[in-house]
Amino acid sequence: MSQPVAAISIQGLTKDFSVTLRGVKLRAVDALNLEVAEGQVYGLLGPNGSGKSTTIKIILGLLDATVGDVRVFGVPANRVEARRNVGYLPEAPYFYRYLSGRELVKFYARVCGVSGSRLRTRVDEVIDWVGLSGAADRRVGTYSKGMLQRIGLAQALVHDPKLIVLDEPTAGVDPVGSAEMCELILKLKQQGKTVLITSHLLAQIEDVCDRVAILDRGKLIVEGSVLELVGQRDRQALIVDPLPEADLEALRGWLAARGHSLNAVEQPRARLDQLFLSKVSRPGRPGGASAGVGSNEVPLDAKP
Amino acid sequence: MSVASVPFSFSRLSLIAGNTFLEAVRQKLFNFLLLLAVGLVASAQFFREFNFGSSELKFISDFGFGALIFFGSALTIATTAQLFFSEIENRTALTLLAKPLWRAEFVFGKFLGVFAVIGVFCALTIGLMMALLWHREGQLMNIRPEDFANGRLIAYGDLLVVGVLQWLKFGVLAAIVLLIASFSNTNLFTVVTGFFVLVICHLQYLARDAWGNVDNAVLGLVVRALGFIFPNFQLFNLADQIGQGSGLSPVVALQVAGYAVAYIGVIGGLAVYSFRNREI
Repeated sequence: MSQPVAAISIQGLTKDFSVTLRGVKLRAVDALNLEVAEGQVYGLLGPNGSGKSTTIKIILGLLDATVGDVRVFGVPANRVEARRNVGYLPEAPYFYRYLSGRELVKFYARVCGVSGSRLRTRVDEVIDWVGLSGAADRRVGTYSKGMLQRIGLAQALVHDPKLIVLDEPTAGVDPVGSAEMCELILKLKQQGKTVLITSHLLAQIEDVCDRVAILDRGKLIVEGSVLELVGQRDRQALIVDPLPEADLEALRGWLAARGHSLNAVEQPRARLDQLFLSKVSRPGRPGGASAGVGSNEVPLDAKP
Repeated sequence: MSVASVPFSFSRLSLIAGNTFLEAVRQKLFNFLLLLAVGLVASAQFFREFNFGSSELKFISDFGFGALIFFGSALTIATTAQLFFSEIENRTALTLLAKPLWRAEFVFGKFLGVFAVIGVFCALTIGLMMALLWHREGQLMNIRPEDFANGRLIAYGDLLVVGVLQWLKFGVLAAIVLLIASFSNTNLFTVVTGFFVLVICHLQYLARDAWGNVDNAVLGLVVRALGFIFPNFQLFNLADQIGQGSGLSPVVALQVAGYAVAYIGVIGGLAVYSFRNREI
């Protein structure tokens, strides 16, 4: 029985750029090995200049590898055929300002070979899916950054690709727009799509990714599932109602008698972005100023 | 692993061309140059006292072609460079080339979009010039009927053919600018180099006449090679032949058109080859 083909397979990828006329090279990616299985949400993290965008461009066939083998669903990434199953949302996307959102998505759909009756239904479907039905006939030049990200996601999805590459999808977007983008990514995961994301906003990556890889100066530093990498398996957190000091002492004694210790007593905190989202009104959602920190609308972080 | 190939698609090519055309006609530069050229052609009738000895109708025709060539060249270079670099600088090329699209489709789509824009410019300018000539010729037929005993003097069909040949010449120029843009990093470099090449293409026949038959074989070869590499734009200046003898020869017109198409094909192919290796 043949093994399932990885959505993205990168073997020994090195990319050098000539930075002077004398041929001095800058190594952007250094001997990178990476495999993204189908159906995963995979985060590619790293500081500026770590090689994330270069890696993405090589996956998309926009750059050629200096050394190494990059495949998308088994097809060499530099072949046009590899891009059939790929949707791409670039960082801070800029689209043809003179087209309406619907015209823009239709244009990209036709470039991807979507035609006939499917063209219209598919365009309407993805515009509705990203929540832009009300603004679809407005010119893209009038869109906010969040709306540009969403129309960008619509154009990336219009040909129903199996792999979606999102380069900094929440960069420059307010927390509401970021949260909506994360929700859309989770929906894509539910649909069985493979998603490759780069981001600086690590908290968001942590929320949506199954696995992450951290790059630094072109090299892979860490790779693994989010749980493996950030979970503390030798510790547990219990969240209880506030205890009086006497009860705490009794609990310490009870734990000590069993060979355990109470390492920290802290008040759990909501994350600031969660607080923000509960306070700010979001289109089509209840909430806003009436929701308080103590209300149930602010999920508490499990970590003390 | 075997996968179905993505064939070259004229549908995608026309999509890119259509979008390029739409972008161009919404630019102020295109509308400005079009208005300027049309205004200049229209004003030719007010300058007929300055016809420098040639016939009045000939003056209007020369003035019109002068405006077409000058503004058409400027429009071709500026628009081609601008439309190409707007895709690169705004990173819309990233989104587009991340789709199952051949780079050849992108380059030829850009070319066809620009070629269509220049076509509209040429059609409007030549159309206005012909209307002016027709109108003025009608007036002169009433004033001096003896000069028009055999009917109208101007061969309007020939004027149209020369207009089409100028359009093809601008097509060659657009292909050259695309070739420069395919490896250049800036819009400014592309525009400046484009204007230099335009001047070379207009004047290369002088170098060929002066140096092509010198005794030095190497120098002669270099001059002939340069004359081959840079298309000779003087071949397209057939407006002077209109109204002389039997008029414009269809064979010559077809040869010049073939010359332009051949250069467009070869230079366009080089632009595709260069752009294929470009890192976006």
